[in-house]
Amino acid sequence: MKDDKKMNCEYTRGKLTEWLNNNLEKSEQMEVNRHLAQCESCQEEFAADKQIWDSMAKIRVPEPKEAMRTNFYTMLDEFKEAERAAARFSFHSMMESIREFVLPQWTVQLGFSLLLVGLGWVIGHRTSRSKVDAVAYQQRIETLASQVQDMKSTMMLSLLENPSATERLRAVGYTSEIAHADDRVLEALFATLNNDPNVNVRLVTLEALTQYAGDASVREGLVKSLALQDSPMVQVALADVMVKLQEKRSVKALKTLLQKEDLNDLVKVKIEQTIKDLS
Amino acid sequence: MNTLTDNSLMLRVKTGDLDKMGLLFERYNRPLFGFFYHMTHKADLSEDLVQNVFYRMLKYRHTFTGDGEFRTWMYHLARNVLNDSVKQNRSFNFYDVNEVADRIGGGALADEGLERQQDNEFLHKAMGALSPEYREVLILSRFQEMKYDEIAKVLNINEGTVKVRVHRALGELKKRFFTNERR
Repeated sequence: MKDDKKMNCEYTRGKLTEWLNNNLEKSEQMEVNRHLAQCESCQEEFAADKQIWDSMAKIRVPEPKEAMRTNFYTMLDEFKEAERAAARFSFHSMMESIREFVLPQWTVQLGFSLLLVGLGWVIGHRTSRSKVDAVAYQQRIETLASQVQDMKSTMMLSLLENPSATERLRAVGYTSEIAHADDRVLEALFATLNNDPNVNVRLVTLEALTQYAGDASVREGLVKSLALQDSPMVQVALADVMVKLQEKRSVKALKTLLQKEDLNDLVKVKIEQTIKDLS
Repeated sequence: MNTLTDNSLMLRVKTGDLDKMGLLFERYNRPLFGFFYHMTHKADLSEDLVQNVFYRMLKYRHTFTGDGEFRTWMYHLARNVLNDSVKQNRSFNFYDVNEVADRIGGGALADEGLERQQDNEFLHKAMGALSPEYREVLILSRFQEMKYDEIAKVLNINEGTVKVRVHRALGELKKRFFTNERR
């Protein structure tokens, strides 16, 4: 009986807070109440507890400030933002790490540099070789051309000494094919102009020399030649060339020519006209 | 209606619908504030701690399984937050009754009778004098209206221990309260 009561007290006190909070099942509530009705010590204790319990309810709890709510929503927004950023970052870093795993950075770099060096070598090799080829080709052509020129001048020089006037005419004709007449050729031509017995050869030579008139020494030679000519046709032709070249230095030579006693009248008139034209 | 239970809301948060934490805040900011306020009697600190709990719930939302009650999980985190705060502020004087009187002095309380006011003060002192362990179980059962089994889950102890602890805490409080009152 005593044990039973003790058990009951313990059991009831175990239900204390539930009893205080009205959290007990109806049957349990009744059980506790029934025990309290017959157990004074429990009754006393429960009464005191209830007083405390009720007093506790009266403990004032201040209202949290409104800032707490504002702060919470600010924090929530910031958290969401950070989470998004982290998601972006983690995706990026994941891709990065996959790439890193499959292809380490240094291999990519090394691969590219090797490729570039190789490409540079191939291109350089090809272009430089073709350049060498072109240069060699050009040189060969030039060598050939100069050889042809040499041959032509040699041929011309030998032909100019031919006794036949026709052959000499042909020789002078070659000069039109000689782009750059060297001193040897010019000397030979002047010799022909001043000394050839055939008037026609001299006239053709004059024509040939006129194409080299850009050279100052050629012009000088032509002016000197004025005094040496005795054929009226060559004299007139030379006078024409002087007008064409506008060679003012020839005026003096032409005036000397006018003093010559056996000068053809026609030539005289032509030369006077030429002097007038030049001065 | 099922979608509006604490657990389903928290599970939505867990799967990325972070805005649902707003609803849980509306439901629990006051009870949580009350818990911290009773534990520390510092309102400003309590507000910070509430904020801290919600932050941790967001941060550690993956640890919420949905097997247990949301509230249990939340108070579990709340206790950790409080413990960390106590560790950080060792020299901090928790439960400073004078401060409490300053904060809630005047106003509504002034209208009540002197006896009531004294009662309140005595109870404050008595609560403050309890060990945090005792204070905690009293707060959880009195103010959060938790049953022993739920408190047991929050505290990670068995239900019997909770029963004993509540009983002793209440006895202690009673002793101090009536001793104070008699003085």
